[in-house]
Amino acid sequence: MSLSRPPLTPIGPELMRNSMWKKSIKNAGLITLLALSPALGFVACTDLTESPTSAIAPENFYRTEAEVIGGLASVYAQLRQVTEAYYNVTEVSSDEYIVPTRGTDWYDGGKWLELDRQTWGPDSQSSGELNGAWSALFGGVARANGALEAVEKVNFPSKPAVQAELRTLRAFYYFLLQDLFGGVPIVEKTILVAPDGNTRAQVFSFIESELNAARPALPEKWSADMHGRMTKGAADAILASLYLNARVFSGTVTATGLTPGAAKWQEAVDASDRIISSGTYSLASNWQSNFTASNHQSPEIILPVKFLNATDLGLNFLMRALHYNQYSPTPWNGFATIAETYLAFDPQDQRRQIFLEGQQVNLVTGAPINDNQGNPLVYTTDFPSRTGTAPGPDNTFDYAGVRIVKWPVDAARVQQNAGNDFAYFRLAEIYLIKAEALNELGRTAEALLLVNQIRARVFATPEPVPPTTQAGFRDVILRERLFELTAEGKRRQDLIRHGKFLLPWYNKLQREPYRILMPIPQSQVEANPKLAQNPGY
Amino acid sequence: MVVVRRLYLLIAGALLWAVVTPVAAQAPSGTVSGRVVDSVSRLPLSDVSVVIEGTRLGTVTREDGSFIIGGVPVGVQTVRARRIGYASPQVSVSVVPNGRVTADFALDRRVAILEEVVTTGYGTQKRLAITGSIATIDADAANVGAIANVDQMIQGRAAGVNITQNSGEPGGGTQIRIRGGTSISASNDPLYVIDGVPINNIPTETAGVGISGNEPPLPRNPMNLLNPADILSISVLKDAAAAIYGTRAANGVIVIETKKGAGGGPSMEYEFSAGKASLNRHLDVLSGPEYRSFITAQVAAGNVGPSVLAGLDTADTDWERAISRDASVINHNLSFAGGSPNTQYRASLNHMNQQGVILSNGFKRYQARLNGSHQAIDGRLRLALNLTGSHIKNDYLPFDNVGGFEGGVFINTLIFNPTLPVTVTDATTGASEFYEIPNQRSLRNPVALAEEIQDFGATTRTLGNISGDLDLFKGLTGRVALGVDRFDSNRGTYFPRSNPVGEEFQGLARQSNRNNTSKTIQTTLTFQPEIGPRHDFSLLGGYEFVESDLAEFAAEARGFVTDVLGFNGLSGGSTIQPLESRTEESRLVGFFSRATYGFMERYFLTGVLRRDGSSRFGEGNKWAVFPAISGSVRLTQTGFVPTGPFSELRLRAGWGKQGNPAIPPYASLLLLAADGGSRSVFGDRAVTGFSPTQNPNPNLKWEETAQTNVALDYGFMNNRFTGSLEYYIKNTRDLLLRVPVAQPAVVSTRLENIGRTRNKGVEFALDAQVMDRPNLNWTAGFVFDVQRNTAVDLGGRSFISTGRVSGEGQSDSRAQRIIPGEPIGTFWGPEFVGVNAAGQQEFNNYTVTRDAQGRELTRTLSGKTTSPDSDDDRIIGNANPNFSFGLRSQANFGSFDFSMLVNSQRGLDVFNNTALVYATKGNATRSKNFLSSALTDNVGITEAQIYSSRWIEDGSFVRLQNITVGYTFGSIRYLGAARQARVFLSGDNLLLMTDYSGYDPEVHTDAGIDAVATRGIDYLHYPRPRTITGGLRVAF
Repeated sequence: MSLSRPPLTPIGPELMRNSMWKKSIKNAGLITLLALSPALGFVACTDLTESPTSAIAPENFYRTEAEVIGGLASVYAQLRQVTEAYYNVTEVSSDEYIVPTRGTDWYDGGKWLELDRQTWGPDSQSSGELNGAWSALFGGVARANGALEAVEKVNFPSKPAVQAELRTLRAFYYFLLQDLFGGVPIVEKTILVAPDGNTRAQVFSFIESELNAARPALPEKWSADMHGRMTKGAADAILASLYLNARVFSGTVTATGLTPGAAKWQEAVDASDRIISSGTYSLASNWQSNFTASNHQSPEIILPVKFLNATDLGLNFLMRALHYNQYSPTPWNGFATIAETYLAFDPQDQRRQIFLEGQQVNLVTGAPINDNQGNPLVYTTDFPSRTGTAPGPDNTFDYAGVRIVKWPVDAARVQQNAGNDFAYFRLAEIYLIKAEALNELGRTAEALLLVNQIRARVFATPEPVPPTTQAGFRDVILRERLFELTAEGKRRQDLIRHGKFLLPWYNKLQREPYRILMPIPQSQVEANPKLAQNPGY
Repeated sequence: MVVVRRLYLLIAGALLWAVVTPVAAQAPSGTVSGRVVDSVSRLPLSDVSVVIEGTRLGTVTREDGSFIIGGVPVGVQTVRARRIGYASPQVSVSVVPNGRVTADFALDRRVAILEEVVTTGYGTQKRLAITGSIATIDADAANVGAIANVDQMIQGRAAGVNITQNSGEPGGGTQIRIRGGTSISASNDPLYVIDGVPINNIPTETAGVGISGNEPPLPRNPMNLLNPADILSISVLKDAAAAIYGTRAANGVIVIETKKGAGGGPSMEYEFSAGKASLNRHLDVLSGPEYRSFITAQVAAGNVGPSVLAGLDTADTDWERAISRDASVINHNLSFAGGSPNTQYRASLNHMNQQGVILSNGFKRYQARLNGSHQAIDGRLRLALNLTGSHIKNDYLPFDNVGGFEGGVFINTLIFNPTLPVTVTDATTGASEFYEIPNQRSLRNPVALAEEIQDFGATTRTLGNISGDLDLFKGLTGRVALGVDRFDSNRGTYFPRSNPVGEEFQGLARQSNRNNTSKTIQTTLTFQPEIGPRHDFSLLGGYEFVESDLAEFAAEARGFVTDVLGFNGLSGGSTIQPLESRTEESRLVGFFSRATYGFMERYFLTGVLRRDGSSRFGEGNKWAVFPAISGSVRLTQTGFVPTGPFSELRLRAGWGKQGNPAIPPYASLLLLAADGGSRSVFGDRAVTGFSPTQNPNPNLKWEETAQTNVALDYGFMNNRFTGSLEYYIKNTRDLLLRVPVAQPAVVSTRLENIGRTRNKGVEFALDAQVMDRPNLNWTAGFVFDVQRNTAVDLGGRSFISTGRVSGEGQSDSRAQRIIPGEPIGTFWGPEFVGVNAAGQQEFNNYTVTRDAQGRELTRTLSGKTTSPDSDDDRIIGNANPNFSFGLRSQANFGSFDFSMLVNSQRGLDVFNNTALVYATKGNATRSKNFLSSALTDNVGITEAQIYSSRWIEDGSFVRLQNITVGYTFGSIRYLGAARQARVFLSGDNLLLMTDYSGYDPEVHTDAGIDAVATRGIDYLHYPRPRTITGGLRVAF
């Protein structure tokens, strides 16, 4: 009874319980009072404490290692969000993906056209996607913070490793946040007040120091049943990418463009070398085995986003790309690529097989298929305009555009949930990071060897890149990264690093220099008035 | 529960006290009997309260108007008869020992202001003494036609009360707004009080499974448990009058009294009605031949491939006709009542079976109700029991709340190719089966959806309350009431393999249970001393405790080899989905008091003070105090104004604070739960994860509304015309608003107490005794209201987006914004100006400059654009009506009676989302049908559907809600054993006059984002039918 008792309580519960019945017979006066008492609330129950039954208060959790793993799992679960709004923003704003309006479908208030054309704003249609990315990634940070605070208070054998995992995960979420938004607030505990913003250089330093601090306690490798958890290799891969992009990631973006930070080429080489020389990873002999439903067995994968063929746990990339009649369940017929990107690939390069062009078949049955008008479904490289007047692919046909199917059909999928993992980092990219950094250090010949190592497995007849200059190699590495890493969420970073993100391409004009950073969604600026909008927006 | 046990002891103690207290010696007594009729129609009046003044003796008249009161002390006694809607005359009789005297009454009809007794919070009050705003509804007059629940009885009969049925679905839910919605994120539903016990008015069955991930339709009406025929009166407490309910009163209170037993000989009544319901409005899509000729032309023009033409079949299916039917509505009511002078009972049985006008759905109710009352110790102890048991069976139809891409029955009715047949004969088996388009699942035969998908719910609900009133001393009465409300429900859903929806899962079966127990304890003490003829004083004090426990469980399996077992064969599924279970509990405690003072029946004053505590709020904010004060002056009686034309003129004013606690339990806490979004994958298996499901807010508290009400009650021409004119202003602050929070946060939004809204309005009511002659009695009522809602402040936010635009190509598109200074329900989008020569839609193109904070500085119109961007978005409509009115009329002409009800809203905007996504020729390129209006709109077949002012329509309407004609047989000659019989014919929703192009402009679709309110969005929903009902009532 009664944490907060009302003022009128002269008769205590004890008196009620013990004496009421017997005395009442003798004492009519007391009985009279008792008869009155309910009306006056003398015996009122006033306990309003809440004790949830199907959810857990944090102070009752994180007491055993099993509970800690349960908390940890939820921080990993947020990684799946990397393939949702973050992926859409980073890919559709680059030249890898285009999401054209297709008749009555995919207009979606114009948000995809904005991303394609790089005309987003803090409060425009595409800010929904930006807000989704912001919230999902910060959600990962918040989950990690909550788990770190709780783990601090308990003791169990693997505590140092779990803390290191959580810090690595948090650093990875910050890595992605600063990639889109620049100087976001660095927060290391659960907060209820709006935090101050930070500079992008501060976020860079935070990620760097967290990964360096966490790395020693991380395992080299997990047993097969724990595959997907953070390792030394994962921390090094994030660091390698961070250093590769250091001039951008630790730089300052103003309305007039990027003031670069200090280059960290040698650090990028060192981080890459730690992975390569660890002996833990090797290039898969078959390039495609990095993407199949059994890709968790690939020796090349360093930091996977894990998926499973089960409800709410699967990868659904095929749904975004394939025509309605091409797969089961019915896909959405949206994402395609532009001709320039598709045609950049060497026809002999096995990596070109990720594209679907020409007459299509059902990917499950193999049977040729028609479009919804009954015509054979033939994917075209161009995007004919339906209206014939508007410039570019404002509104095109269902069959328009080459599709990307890099993660093949999982025969054991559950509805749209496929079990293919999404490798955010794999060894091939580490080779390419090292090569790019070596070239910047003037070691172009060594760099060329690494690139050709990657190319060796994807050509029936070897087609090594011929020797070139340092400047020439920059084009080589940007192209090779496109060939190797298309649709893996890297293109926007690469284009920005090489100063090509704002250049005009197929359906897009030259854009303003500040657009290498996304605007902070207006709703986030209003939720946290301490945030300064990125310059230019 | 400790409290319950104590209460038992207390009741026992109270009884004992009553027994041991000396009672007056038995005196000689006699019996008073008589009959009460309407003074004009001379028809018997039932449910009239007849009392011996100055004693506790009394009863209620039976169906034939007769009454008997025994044990009346000898001598001259004053007998008074009272019934809502009538004057309450008294007669003197001289009672002789063991004798029987007669007291007959012919009651004059009176209206609103002069009604004697009105049920208010925690008791009844004399109408004259009420200083707040209370609308009363005569339940008998409102219970005509095909009425399934109490909500429908209020429509058009109370000023300032807006009732919108969610859809025309049988048993469907209702949105009730009393004086507009004040809240943006929390509930705007009123509190329901049945026979003094507040009801936990939550959905009784679990939410359905959306088709292909779409949202299932809104839940059915929890008030279906109550049979409208059992309702005696409905009072709607709109302002400070509701303040006695403190925290739960901000959205108003609906107080329902059920019919009670009468003393004297038993009476019995049986009523049967049967009706036919049918669609009365149609959406015009292309017929088979029209579709074929359209496709032929488009193929010739090169817009559509030639094979589409080849793919057309030869049928001409009207899919709307194919899914609809003439549906039957059958209702049986049997009631009997009786008792002795000291013990009365009324029992009733009801069965209602309402088919939907769409195939394969409906609603059945089996309900029994028992009211008993007993007076003991010379009438000083009064016990009452009300018990309702109901069993509801719901057969659900698979359709969508907010649509989506592929959709359920209604969407496919519009888009399914009209050249295709409903059924085909299987070439090998010769069996007839539903036609489905081969090798695709996104277009579904709507008839097959309705017939093949199984979705059934069953709810058993028991509502019981018992109360004891004891007169402790003269003028002092104590009361204890206990109420229990328990429901148990099960819902079973099966998507068969044979249907495209189920094919994806190879059959999907789900069973879910939901149950809730709410316990209420109320104790009150009423002190009403006699302090002279000029003063009228009463004091009420009380305590209330409400506890509610909810539990849910659901299991789902997929992958079946056969459809035969339906949802009963979960173990036959190859994949078992993660199980779901959930419980929650909440408590509410209140201490309240009310003092009323009347001077010479001219000046009245009421003060209310309530202190409430709710478990749902933050640790330091669980308790709050709600005061209210109101008063009235009868100007005509006090000589402040010359009587002039007025026979009655009364000024009322009141102010009070009320709360809105309508948020889920535990909303203030940081809680961890294992849900789908926390599960992860390690290796190649799923790992259960626990993560915070909401952001904590230890400061979370009530939403608080302060309401001021000023009113003028009037009567003129000797009160042949009466009514009231009211003005109110409701200022709501500390809104329970779900807003984005500063990141990092475990969830992107949090419930906070920020922002303010304001509602103000004018309500006008007029009741008229138009004619009052022998054999012709005609009354009419008119209610009119104007409401203005404003979102005053959103905690510094410049807007909150809400109102999903739904359909293909509409992801992330929003129709509404809540903007400070504008009403909730403001449409936001580009301004459509026309179609250009190329068939493209054109919109006003604006050039906007903004400051560093993104605030608009200047706006210049610079031509037109075919691809509007965010700078082109503006306010393009307001979903709130300029005004609304209701008109009702009732006439008795000899043995005939006639009544009608009209309601109307003017000047509201409706976003016709249905037209946006289905009035487009582009659908043909997806082999879909479309609304015929697109044939003539000059928009190219290739144009995308763009949300704009083009789709905002004027939703003004006038609806002829009901007309009823009845004939009463008074003569025994034709009726055998029956005393009286009446036959009637009634029509519901007979006529809808509107320019709106969709099914119905009265829409309620919950299209909110993060539970933020939306208004006036029409996504294709279950159309409201027209129903013709005939019936017979016989009294024995």
